[in-house]
Amino acid sequence: MIELAQVVKTYSAGLATPYTAVAGVTLDIPGGQLTVLKGPSGSGKTTLLSLIGCMARPTSGRIHLRGLPPGLLPQGADADPLEITSLPERFLTTIRRRTFGFIFQQFNLVRGISVLENVMLPTYPTGEDRETVEARAVTRLEALGMARHLKAPVDRLSGGEAQRVAIARALINDPPVIIADEPTAHLDSRLSAEFMELMGQFKGAGRTLLIASHDPIVHDSPLADLVIVMRDGQVVTAP
Amino acid sequence: MIQHPGVLALLLASGLVTLLVVAAAGLGWQILRHWDQHSGTESQLALERRTYLVSALLSLALGVQVLSLFLFIFTADGLHSQFVGAMCAAGSLAAAPYGYTTLLLKVGTCLLAGAWIVLHRADIRAYDCPLIRPKFGLLLGLAPLVLAETWFQTRYLTGLRADVMTSCCGSLFGQGREGIAAELAGLPPALMHPLFWGSLLAFAVAGGWFLRTRRGALAFSLLGLAFFVIALVALVSVFDLYIYELPTHHCPFCLLHREHGFVGYPLYATLLGGALTALGVGVLSPFRGRTSLASVLPAMQAKLAWTALGCAAVFTLIVGIWALVSPLRL
Repeated sequence: MIELAQVVKTYSAGLATPYTAVAGVTLDIPGGQLTVLKGPSGSGKTTLLSLIGCMARPTSGRIHLRGLPPGLLPQGADADPLEITSLPERFLTTIRRRTFGFIFQQFNLVRGISVLENVMLPTYPTGEDRETVEARAVTRLEALGMARHLKAPVDRLSGGEAQRVAIARALINDPPVIIADEPTAHLDSRLSAEFMELMGQFKGAGRTLLIASHDPIVHDSPLADLVIVMRDGQVVTAP
Repeated sequence: MIQHPGVLALLLASGLVTLLVVAAAGLGWQILRHWDQHSGTESQLALERRTYLVSALLSLALGVQVLSLFLFIFTADGLHSQFVGAMCAAGSLAAAPYGYTTLLLKVGTCLLAGAWIVLHRADIRAYDCPLIRPKFGLLLGLAPLVLAETWFQTRYLTGLRADVMTSCCGSLFGQGREGIAAELAGLPPALMHPLFWGSLLAFAVAGGWFLRTRRGALAFSLLGLAFFVIALVALVSVFDLYIYELPTHHCPFCLLHREHGFVGYPLYATLLGGALTALGVGVLSPFRGRTSLASVLPAMQAKLAWTALGCAAVFTLIVGIWALVSPLRL
């Protein structure tokens, strides 16, 4: 599904204090499975996720995606696998929106607006009909047990509830890949276990899950098909 | 040098465009030598990032280059009152060396800049930059012309002095005078009418054929360019007589004056716009086989073709109406 070949990311390259966060990573992340990136802080997990999720470009190396949703590129273009590191920004935007759902460590919900509006936000640039989007957002929130909070401002939610909203938002465009960066960092053990249960459901539905975490509840979970250990920007162990 | 806002704007715009074009030409040279999208090396990825930025800036700069043709003519026309004997831009352009050389170079760079913009617009619609080499190859051809134009324009504009004696348009474009301009202006209606209407018909037929079958893009492009050149000559030799209502006045610049309804601006805009878009259809033609452009180019070419035909129609409509309502009969 996602193939990385000799990917390097150096911040401040060419300046006095360059920092290589990812140093020559070669990986093959299978589709429809749960892959965990494990490693201490500063090991390059978040940077690697941002490169895979088209939020940053590598300094060198290439990343290929397979099995993308149809219609992302002009009709007739042979795009499987699609090399994403050289793509112009206009295509990256579409790929980010249609292929990946992001769950951030801090959840990154927009304060001052309701739960429902937060979940609908990623669909606004698509120009999709509002009623359709709203119905889909309500379905997602109901499935996550958040039906009674639809109109509530996100400021009033607990950590677990805020995370469920973040998950619903990640799913609103029905992406085949979900990327989560330290999703249990602000949750207690019970909520972390609930989170992993949800991930298990998504995996069962055929989605590809990629989670960066150093929480044992995540990387020791029986749901994890592949655990990749990272240290100092390099992959230490991978199958 | 005359401290006129138009003069200062032209010098500033040319300087900036030239700087950017020369810098981009350096990048173009690297692209032609080292571009390899299959490689994931640091230098290739850095080249890709720089290319996107430079291309975006360059498309804006070349847009300014196209518009600067009109600013140049507008400024030359606005300056004519500074020179003894000048009645319009024709006199201003003759008031210092290299005026007409600059004008010709500007027309040339304008067409090439338009072709580059068309290539760029197609290239950014594809995900794999399929036109990166042709685009920057064209830029390497364009760069010396832009440099030459900036040099001649600077020499011309800095060489302008108020109160010098110059020729009026009547003496430059009058019948019986020597020189290419005067000879073109003196071409008889009996020759120009069939040439103009014949080339318009051929262009329209080629356009219809192309839009229906998506074939014959190159022929359409060549016939379009031929039509717009013939239309320019016909304007100077025949159609402007109806506008001036004088059988001997052939100036291409007096059309820009208020007393003639500023009709020169829409006429030259349609001529230039039509020539650029007709050229664009042909420029894109060799790349229709590229996989990533397969669904993009036909629609783009059709849009360009419709625009070129529209420009020809508007031009013909304006000169046709003027010929009908003018009291002058040739």
